[in-house]
Amino acid sequence: MSNLWFFNGLRKGVRTERFPKAPAEAPPQWPSRLSGSGDAVCPVGAIENGVWDMDKCIFCRRCLTTYEPTGEQDIFTIDSRVSLFHRSLYLYPLDSGSCGGCNIELLNIFTPYYDANRLRIFITNTPRHADAIVIMGVYTKGMEEPLRLAYEAMAEPKLVIALGACAISGGIVGKPAIDAEKYNVKIAGCPPSPYTILQALDSVRGD
Amino acid sequence: MRYYKFGNPAGRFIGSSGGIDVYPASIVRNPVEGQKSQIAAAQPGEFYFGYGPSTGGMIESVGIDFLTPGEFITDVSVNPKYKMRMINVREKSIGDTMLSIERINAFHCASHSIAFASAVEDALEVDIPEGVMYARIVALELERIRSNLLVIERMCQPAGFGVPGNQLALLREEISRLISAATGHRYFLGSVSAGGISINLSRVSKVTQNIASQFRKLYDSLLESKIFMNRLINNGKISTESLLGPAARASGHANDARLDSQTLDYSGLGFSPILRTGSDSFARMQVRSEEIIQSVDIIEKALELASSSIASLGNHVDGEGAGRIESPQGDVFYYVRLENSMLADVVMVSPSLSNIDAFVRSMKGNIFTDFHFNWESFGIWISEAGVELE
Repeated sequence: MSNLWFFNGLRKGVRTERFPKAPAEAPPQWPSRLSGSGDAVCPVGAIENGVWDMDKCIFCRRCLTTYEPTGEQDIFTIDSRVSLFHRSLYLYPLDSGSCGGCNIELLNIFTPYYDANRLRIFITNTPRHADAIVIMGVYTKGMEEPLRLAYEAMAEPKLVIALGACAISGGIVGKPAIDAEKYNVKIAGCPPSPYTILQALDSVRGD
Repeated sequence: MRYYKFGNPAGRFIGSSGGIDVYPASIVRNPVEGQKSQIAAAQPGEFYFGYGPSTGGMIESVGIDFLTPGEFITDVSVNPKYKMRMINVREKSIGDTMLSIERINAFHCASHSIAFASAVEDALEVDIPEGVMYARIVALELERIRSNLLVIERMCQPAGFGVPGNQLALLREEISRLISAATGHRYFLGSVSAGGISINLSRVSKVTQNIASQFRKLYDSLLESKIFMNRLINNGKISTESLLGPAARASGHANDARLDSQTLDYSGLGFSPILRTGSDSFARMQVRSEEIIQSVDIIEKALELASSSIASLGNHVDGEGAGRIESPQGDVFYYVRLENSMLADVVMVSPSLSNIDAFVRSMKGNIFTDFHFNWESFGIWISEAGVELE
């Protein structure tokens, strides 16, 4: 039986994309970078004075046709990089109060099409071994203490990554898990696509 | 409210939330308090083992306490409220409320948003076009295929089955890309509205037929894996009338909202539920696996009648209504009351709360090794169990 699975795996061949070195093969339109200018109706205030704020955007399409999706997946900001993590990056995911969308898309970067392991990006089950904590979802009282304990358990240097609109700004269902200025990396989207997450994590490690 | 009435309980219990109990054709106020998960007192030699709320191996934050003498699980309790979200939905427009409803559980956004839209249409006495109804069936079945693939993929992980797990993940990603191409979003967010659905159905048949063909081979191979079957058979046996979704159908109970839906004509497509009698993790995996292939057949039939459009919401501005959908985990129910086209009240009943209770009862007497297989077989989502609409 083990031989069967072995040959099963071989028969499939390599399905992993070359992204981020090559263009994404199936980039979603929503979420992706929006192109446009001027005012539009926005339920979360992501468009004010004719400027689009990707961190607040929940990509609900209310601003169509003033703003159009480009399919570009580079909707993240990196405030600080840590070159020490160039060889490998270990992530501790923490769901502070999510709808599950960000959780699944983070898991998806470790599936065959994206295969984050080839970029030396891994998940760890304990904050003690983590280089970065990935916060998903809005603030909830019950997860405040686990979030604080996980952050304190991590060794220096460490990164704090906000995954998705809820973690960054509270999105449309709550308020952010921590203050936005405490994040080293903000990955926009509702939820962010695996391409955006992969590119952001690959970029955060410095030279 | 055309399909439900307030009154005496009628038929099986579906769930309760926000001051109501739900049955297939009636809603009852002043509900009897449901059983709360409470762990037993430790006997000499037993100890409590806490797992979570934030821990490896789980998709979401959840607190699980085991009572054990070291190997057998004497008792277990599940607390889904660590990440309890209070979501404000009242006194908002239908469209604004939909944005929040979509984010109760993004992975099952189609189920939640279609159930909510159905409740609004019931309250406003709007009849959706037949093509929209079949397009919604296509969306729900695409979501079911992806959800069932994830459950089986997650069941492979604790067995160390990397090859089938990754191949299932490949199929799941292909469904996500199909949904993205059809609706613009990988999780249906923004595609369902009260009165309609926006979906491009052009590639659906080709992709789903290919997935059914590949999945059938994988499923046959998994059934031949004695190591895998040993972890599932007799693991988490439970059979009661109150079970929902695949857990009910794996115990021989034909509990399925698709059978008695008042708004989606599944019976017109020749639907009948897939039943097994094992009542264990293996039976739940069998039901989910065969439902993947069945969903592709349903999609094929529904595609011939489906179209993408949005109906007018008419002139009504007040009313109360209810909508119920068979999500991949079981019944999702919404009750809404509208005043001047604004939401005055919204109540959601999710299958995950009931399934947590079933999981707790099924886990007693098993061993630690059984835990992940059994937990995943129920397909519980904490985001929809730990949420309050206010």
